[in-house]
Amino acid sequence: MIAETAQSLNALVPARKSRPMQWPEAEFEAVFLQHYPRVVNVLMRLLGERTRAEELANDVFWKLYRTPAIRDGDGRVGGWLYRTATNLGIDALRAGTRRRKYEDAAARSQENAASASPLDDMVRAEQCSRVRAVLAAIKPAQAQILILRASGFSYKELADVLEAAPGGIGTMLSRAQAEFRTAYLQFHGAEEEL
Amino acid sequence: MNCLSDGTLQSYVDGELDKIELQEINQHLASCPTCRSRLELVQSQSERVQRALGGLAASNEAIDPAPALARFRAALDDEWAPKRGWWGRVFAPRLRPAWGALALVGAVAVFLSVAPARTFAARILAMLRVKKITAVSVYPVSTETQTDQRTAKMLSQLISDNVVVTEDAGKPQPQASAAAASKLAGFDVRTIAQLGAPQKIMVNGEAGFQMTLNRGRMQAILQEAGRTDIQLPAAIDGALVAVHIPRTVMTAYGNCPEQRMRRHGPGSQPESQAPPDQSESEDNCVFLIQAPSPTVSVPPNLKLSQLAEAALQLAGMSPSEAHSFCQTVDWSSTLVVPVPGNIGSYQTVNVDGVSGTLISMRSDRNRYSLLWVKDGIIYSMNGHGDPNQALNLAASLTD
Repeated sequence: MIAETAQSLNALVPARKSRPMQWPEAEFEAVFLQHYPRVVNVLMRLLGERTRAEELANDVFWKLYRTPAIRDGDGRVGGWLYRTATNLGIDALRAGTRRRKYEDAAARSQENAASASPLDDMVRAEQCSRVRAVLAAIKPAQAQILILRASGFSYKELADVLEAAPGGIGTMLSRAQAEFRTAYLQFHGAEEEL
Repeated sequence: MNCLSDGTLQSYVDGELDKIELQEINQHLASCPTCRSRLELVQSQSERVQRALGGLAASNEAIDPAPALARFRAALDDEWAPKRGWWGRVFAPRLRPAWGALALVGAVAVFLSVAPARTFAARILAMLRVKKITAVSVYPVSTETQTDQRTAKMLSQLISDNVVVTEDAGKPQPQASAAAASKLAGFDVRTIAQLGAPQKIMVNGEAGFQMTLNRGRMQAILQEAGRTDIQLPAAIDGALVAVHIPRTVMTAYGNCPEQRMRRHGPGSQPESQAPPDQSESEDNCVFLIQAPSPTVSVPPNLKLSQLAEAALQLAGMSPSEAHSFCQTVDWSSTLVVPVPGNIGSYQTVNVDGVSGTLISMRSDRNRYSLLWVKDGIIYSMNGHGDPNQALNLAASLTD
């Protein structure tokens, strides 16, 4: 059995796979390791659920793997990743309005783990659910820029993701915020919250 | 300067303007009360909206991309795995129930079981060599699950990513006689007198490979297998393990189909679709493998007993069993063969003047393996039927 094993290890030589690689392995791995946590965090903000966020992040990297043309050019990979991630995330958010209640239950447990008071937890969870409902209702492009900005993206990064001129980001952001606020007040009417 | 746009004011609030723009805007604001009040509005709106959105929390735990990458690779592997290598065959459905233990055999043979002989302590690497074989029963948890398939794929991917072949064994060379095989292999090849001349003698070339251990990925695989309780020692990360396999000789007797020979020989080609060993007529097939010990070089600080403990736990031992077993083994020279207790059993026997291990499998038509080490050569005699037959055959080995 041992000798067989030893011999079988020889057999690894011809058996090593040569998969049709569009991306050089190391390059793809580096991109994955660099961006995966941030992609998940952006999606978690949108969806409030870690498992779902990781599922979607995985889908994003699948798409990336199948789109090797993205490799060329500076900053394009990052921009493409977060654009795709937020597009998928916002689609999921919009599609998931029926499931909102369940997501909120999950969100409650995750978003408020650090909080001391159960009452605070409930209030915060309610607030999160309101914000997500508004993000699902406004124009996807505006939800996109808002969630990315909330995730700490600079104007330069936003310009890469949105394929826009950095000089135009302020205007886009200002419009998106105005739209968000109007929709929020329409939906929830709580001036004191916003 | 004209009055400022909301966009410019937003950029101002967000601190995203360059020095010159900032200067101009500050000058304008100083002289324009309208823009100052609009700035307040923009600022307040921005703060409110950002506060609302800021309540959407990201993960409060750090997100480790390594397990996700490992899962991704496994899925990728799945996508592009039309052919099965040896590793794939080990995890074929037929053998899957024992995959944990079988994986362990591989792992053990590569780097676990032969521990630092201190003779080379002065060197960077310690050289290891098999002098003795010990079997141990393990009880792998039932495994017909997707998780295990995925884990197996991750293992396979790990190996193909981290193994560098340093010496290619090439194709096995058929030899006309034991004498010719001895000459080529560099040690005296023995034959089973009772069975007459071997039907076939093959000599496998030398092979060598190196593997850099990646603790993160190995731990990720354990996690994927649901074994978060098993912690690999930190010291293994980045350790370079080099394996050299000398020429080995296989002699086959009786009615051994070609496919079977290939399957057990090196440089195996991917199997055809049909299960290879359904035929009753090959029940008289016996093959004897003779192999000088592979040598394994590991950094001296690598504690193999700790790794072995983890591996045995993965194979189904309880932590305390694994720990106490590892204490009893002389890791300086012992190759440990885990035998899945649900499909096989083993006994210690006297063979060829030394102590050997006779493993009988209840599945695979009562296959047996008799293993022993004598004068630096590892022997493995394999056949089907009454395991005691192996002892009789071994007694008739030529000197």
